[in-house]
Amino acid sequence: MANMITKDKIDDFIEKIPPAPKVLSETIALLNIGELTKAAKIAEGDLALKSYLKNIVNKPIYGFRNEVSDISQIFGILGVSLSQQTVYNYMITLLSPKKWVLFKLNAKTFHEFQANLSKKWETILKHLNIDDKNIYAAISLLPASVIVTEALFAEKIDNVNLLRTTKALDFNTILIRLCGVSLFDICEKIAKKWDMDESIAQIIQASSGVKPSSDEKINTLGKWMHLLLFYELSKPEFIEAGLNDFVDFQIEYISDIYDEFASLMGVE
Amino acid sequence: MKAVVKNGIAVFSPQGFLDGNSSNAFMSIEDIEAATNLKADMILVSLKKVVFFNRNGLDIFIKLFFKIRKKNHATVGFCDYDSKKYDAIKRFFHDELYFSLFKTLEIAYLFSSSFKNQNKSILIYSSDKSQRSAIAIELHDGGHNPIIAQSEQEFNEKKEKKDAYDYIIDSTFLGQMGQKVATRVTGNAIIYTISSFLDVEIGDKFNIEYHNNSLNVGFRLFIFDAYKVISMNVHALNFFSKLASSAAEYNASICFVGMKFDKTPEIFRETMEDAGILFYAQMDDILENKELLKELGASSASNVKNKRALNKATVLELPKFIDATVITLEMMTNAKAVKEAVSVHNLIIEDKKGKIASSIGYYGDIDGMVILVFPQGIAKKACELLIGENTDDMELILDTLAELVNIVGGKIKTLLADELINVNITLPRTYQDVDSLLEVVENRRGVQVDLSFNGDKFLFFLTR
Repeated sequence: MANMITKDKIDDFIEKIPPAPKVLSETIALLNIGELTKAAKIAEGDLALKSYLKNIVNKPIYGFRNEVSDISQIFGILGVSLSQQTVYNYMITLLSPKKWVLFKLNAKTFHEFQANLSKKWETILKHLNIDDKNIYAAISLLPASVIVTEALFAEKIDNVNLLRTTKALDFNTILIRLCGVSLFDICEKIAKKWDMDESIAQIIQASSGVKPSSDEKINTLGKWMHLLLFYELSKPEFIEAGLNDFVDFQIEYISDIYDEFASLMGVE
Repeated sequence: MKAVVKNGIAVFSPQGFLDGNSSNAFMSIEDIEAATNLKADMILVSLKKVVFFNRNGLDIFIKLFFKIRKKNHATVGFCDYDSKKYDAIKRFFHDELYFSLFKTLEIAYLFSSSFKNQNKSILIYSSDKSQRSAIAIELHDGGHNPIIAQSEQEFNEKKEKKDAYDYIIDSTFLGQMGQKVATRVTGNAIIYTISSFLDVEIGDKFNIEYHNNSLNVGFRLFIFDAYKVISMNVHALNFFSKLASSAAEYNASICFVGMKFDKTPEIFRETMEDAGILFYAQMDDILENKELLKELGASSASNVKNKRALNKATVLELPKFIDATVITLEMMTNAKAVKEAVSVHNLIIEDKKGKIASSIGYYGDIDGMVILVFPQGIAKKACELLIGENTDDMELILDTLAELVNIVGGKIKTLLADELINVNITLPRTYQDVDSLLEVVENRRGVQVDLSFNGDKFLFFLTR
């Protein structure tokens, strides 16, 4: 059958999401109660996590002058909220494909995307005077939407291209219209499977721009995250990766926070 | 980023922030190449989903577009903006505004040479007097009825009466317009507007694909509005002579109206008449003369016998055409599409009531036309992915059916390319009832296939 995408395929994808590895859930649980040293000790046991953390925090956007390599040092510098956010970022990368087909991404550019979002989300939360580690962690789930799109549509790249020369439909709309499920619903499923705090999924849903939250605080965070996403997706490397229009940018949704965002990010 | 092409306009829709860095990334070398090869009248960037732009960001698009324009004469510019963005663009570029600005894409469609939307009443206002008249002239040439508001006050008063106008145009600026030959349809005649000096470039400016498509779908009368032609040279003469002989194959008529021969050699006229071109002094000489219209073949396309038979090449590739339709329907509906019966004869439609149709032509190594006929409700289901809402808006449904058949056409093109058969596809056409379809294809033999998805039946017809 030449179906673009079916409900079965989505269920299959959700089914195949692995549970959070034990080391990671323990690390997160320890970070949750502020036990940075104990968490670092557990995390040392996962070499891939260690290498990911090293790689991320040594990116220029984190601004450390000397290379940091020790996990307890990394957790110490990042503090509880950012450490937890970074471990979640790592967990999301576990879902990413070995080879990207639909989007022109690779491990390096995807990590760059995560790092940029995380760092700027931190700037936004500081500006909004928010210090809640779940809200810090929420940004980690956002790039999962890219991974889900890749997983569901990679095989259908020709059909998608054909469709998109006739009508400018984004992937989220295609998914909703064909299966009644959004990319962000699937992200929510990931969050549930990994026992992430409920507020995280709520913020991600609002950040889709098409499902505003009735909770005013969550909705405001959704707006900031939606705009931040498109701020990042306007970067040349992500435009070239084909990400700029993978979901629909809802200008009206973010209109009331735009000026504040622009001045915070120094948009001129 | 790829452009979406509809009604002769190619639109790029970037999202987010446009500056010098990002704008460059939106258009890869292949994208520019692809846009250059598009047979589009206009190439526009929609600013609907752009929250921020600066001069550099727009500049890069403009520079790229002018490169494209050099090769294909398309109109280039921006569309879909609010007054704040419009003012910013005017401020950035004040006296160097060579590109065009259309407040909405719908307004841009009015200026494209596509055959849709003619005879509309359009209220126009621009604070710039010369723009007001430039807009009015372009619209008039395109077969519309422009109404100019002379002052902002007059505009505001007039626009209150919304029902009086089909469209209202403000915050729009015409830069260098495309030099394509404008096209419009009046009844069963197609009118092309040509002007000034006609030379070898007429071959680029004239949309030969559109013309061939029109012949294929049954138009038999083509009128060149030549009032504004100053002169033509031998290359243009050759072009029109060839056009006339290909029209003769279809039993179609080509007429020139208002052409003066004071600066063009009189012998050209004789050559053209020999090729079968007819000359008239006034447009009304043709359009108001019912007898003549009938004689010229414009009264009903069905009078013309089409002798082009289905050939072996087409029949051999029949499975590809059916596949393209089945794949597209499955992709759009998530349902399995099934072939029920195949037969070769003239198109037979039982129970014409409530059925709509769309067609798309292809030409190249092989040529012909695919027609899909749907009961209205089933057309809606087939187009659900494209429409996204429950609607009874007939215009929207037909419009979307055109998009669907366009996707089928794209799929045919790729499936045939796998067999090393190269074809191009024409613009899609829709028919809001079976009678208007039959006017075009009655008496034509073809392959008829009954298809269904989810138990909903529709009809596929392949003809030449």
